[in-house]
Amino acid sequence: MKIITSKKVLTISIFLSLLLILVILVSITMGSVKVPPLRSIRILFQSILGLKGAGSETERTIILSLRLPRAILAGFVGAGLSVAGATFQALLRNPLADPYILGVSSGAAVGAIIAILLGLSTFSLGLPLASFLGALLTIMVVFYFGRQDGKIHPNTLLLAGVIIGSFLSALIMFFISVSQKEELHTIIFWLMGDFSFSNARAILIIFPYVLLGILFLYLRSRHLNLILSGEENAVQLGVDVERLKLVSYLSASLVTAASVSVCGLIGFVGLIIPHSVRLIFGPDHRLLIPASALVGASFLIASDTFARTILAPSELPVGVITAAFGGPFFIYLLRTRKVIKTL
Amino acid sequence: MKKPLPPLFHTPTFTLWSNGTYSTGQALPRRRGRGEKVFSSRDEGRKRFLSILLLFIFFSASLSYAFTLKYMDEVGREVTFLSHPQRIVSLAPNITEILFGLGLDEEIMGVSIHCNFPEKARSKAKVGSYISLDFEKITSLKPDLIIATGVGNTREMVDRLEKLGFPTYVIYPKNFNDILQSIAHIGEIVDKRKEARVIIEGMGERRQRVIELTKGLPLPRVFIQIGDAPIVTVGKGSFADDLIRLAGGENIAGKEKEVYPRFGMEEILKRSPEVIVISSMNPKSDYQKILQEWSRWKAIPAVKNGRIHLIDSDLIDRPSPRIIDGLEEFARVLHPEKFNK
Repeated sequence: MKIITSKKVLTISIFLSLLLILVILVSITMGSVKVPPLRSIRILFQSILGLKGAGSETERTIILSLRLPRAILAGFVGAGLSVAGATFQALLRNPLADPYILGVSSGAAVGAIIAILLGLSTFSLGLPLASFLGALLTIMVVFYFGRQDGKIHPNTLLLAGVIIGSFLSALIMFFISVSQKEELHTIIFWLMGDFSFSNARAILIIFPYVLLGILFLYLRSRHLNLILSGEENAVQLGVDVERLKLVSYLSASLVTAASVSVCGLIGFVGLIIPHSVRLIFGPDHRLLIPASALVGASFLIASDTFARTILAPSELPVGVITAAFGGPFFIYLLRTRKVIKTL
Repeated sequence: MKKPLPPLFHTPTFTLWSNGTYSTGQALPRRRGRGEKVFSSRDEGRKRFLSILLLFIFFSASLSYAFTLKYMDEVGREVTFLSHPQRIVSLAPNITEILFGLGLDEEIMGVSIHCNFPEKARSKAKVGSYISLDFEKITSLKPDLIIATGVGNTREMVDRLEKLGFPTYVIYPKNFNDILQSIAHIGEIVDKRKEARVIIEGMGERRQRVIELTKGLPLPRVFIQIGDAPIVTVGKGSFADDLIRLAGGENIAGKEKEVYPRFGMEEILKRSPEVIVISSMNPKSDYQKILQEWSRWKAIPAVKNGRIHLIDSDLIDRPSPRIIDGLEEFARVLHPEKFNK
């Protein structure tokens, strides 16, 4: 393993943060309505400074009320899902793990669909709250069945999660088959993931979970490294392995639940970003976690920008873009880096 | 005897002191008139004085002065906007048809990508689909009134549009009568009452003729096919179901609670429809194939007697003024002896 110094972590993080800022700036200059790029950026900076100069009222609304909240929300969701994915991959010691593998997403979907069918989605917060509750319930049930003799066994947890997830998927299909045309639209769009309703409220819901979750997992990155070299090894080195597994399971799940509840199911980010970051920067969690967060944020903002501009005025589900661009890029990394042992 | 038209206008949600009535005998809608501002009910006296004063001022001002209107829309939301909207965005094909019908060719700034009628609608700016709106495009059009539909647009979308500062009026017709009412409502909020009344009366008269001609005739059993794999039909609560009833027929799926129930062939054989109507978005291409498919089922009376018909889906499931054409099509198909002369 390459030696990771905190200076290297810092340098790479700063570099990736600059990349993220660049992506955000590009994102707010693009859209179905043409606003000159320089003016878009001037509008953004002037509003940050509390000034009101550049651009017309319409342009300010487009930049500040539509594009900016969307980029910020996509950034938080991308960061949250990527870090959750990295954590689940370590926790389950399985390269196929992603934030949705333990059924959190299906639980959230069932909650959301019930809210839509009961008409709760018309209340503000009805939909995110219901899906968050659904996810929370699933996290608890999976945790309850995934343990043996009070300990988390990765494979037991994985099986419990996958099976509960399948059960919930059956419920989702049932609900879809009995729902009416109008509800169906809402449900399908929720299932495909949608950022078009991004606003300050959604950002406020998600950011404490994502920021605290990432910080929490970052502080345990050393222990996550040790657990990957074998549980016994970690125990000998003084790590409270059960506690570590418990808190990383809970924090990654909560980050996932919060992300899913504000924008529906956005696939692929949580699987591919941690792997890509591992292939580029190595598997050390001290770097993997902050780098995944920053790369994940940039990637999802970029994908969402494509999703809303390629076929304007129609919008593609962002999941289409994450898979269509992320997949080939990941294959390319696999072929060129020749590092098959990723975990 | 003429059947009375449905109530066309909003019922008032509070009483205005300057109450007037329409010739229909209905009270004025919830609306703040020329120059009247919003007052709390306490300062009645001051209100009266100020309103007279303002009235005076505005009468001397230009007639095109826009005043604030406040309406309850069809889903019970309160919508506040300026009178004589000049920049209207329509979020659904039926709304676009109504607006063009009222002669608002110039005022329509944007339409949905589904808006295909009249031909002029195709050249308007596109603002997205029912399910995914292009909020940016809408913002750039600076609408002073957006008209949405409760069928395809969600509450979230409407809230979003209002938050962006665009007054959004939602229509939500559920049957033929509701469509007339929605036309009246739109006519009112865009200040085209007379034009709306002409459309509504025309539709009412044509409907009356269909009802009179089919009165007392036996009701043929009808099956409507709106999808071929799987076979989907229309149940209670759909426009087509309403049209069948008005045209003197019986929808064999009319008692289903689902609006778009899926039907197996067994169920269709059991209910043996006498007429099959295929509602197709794409009239020529797959009609022959669907016909061939049906020809295998000679036990169905409609198949045996060759009573399978194709109707343009836009005429029977789009709550627009053209729904009356759909109704007459249905009547012709169900009772050819009465209508083909």
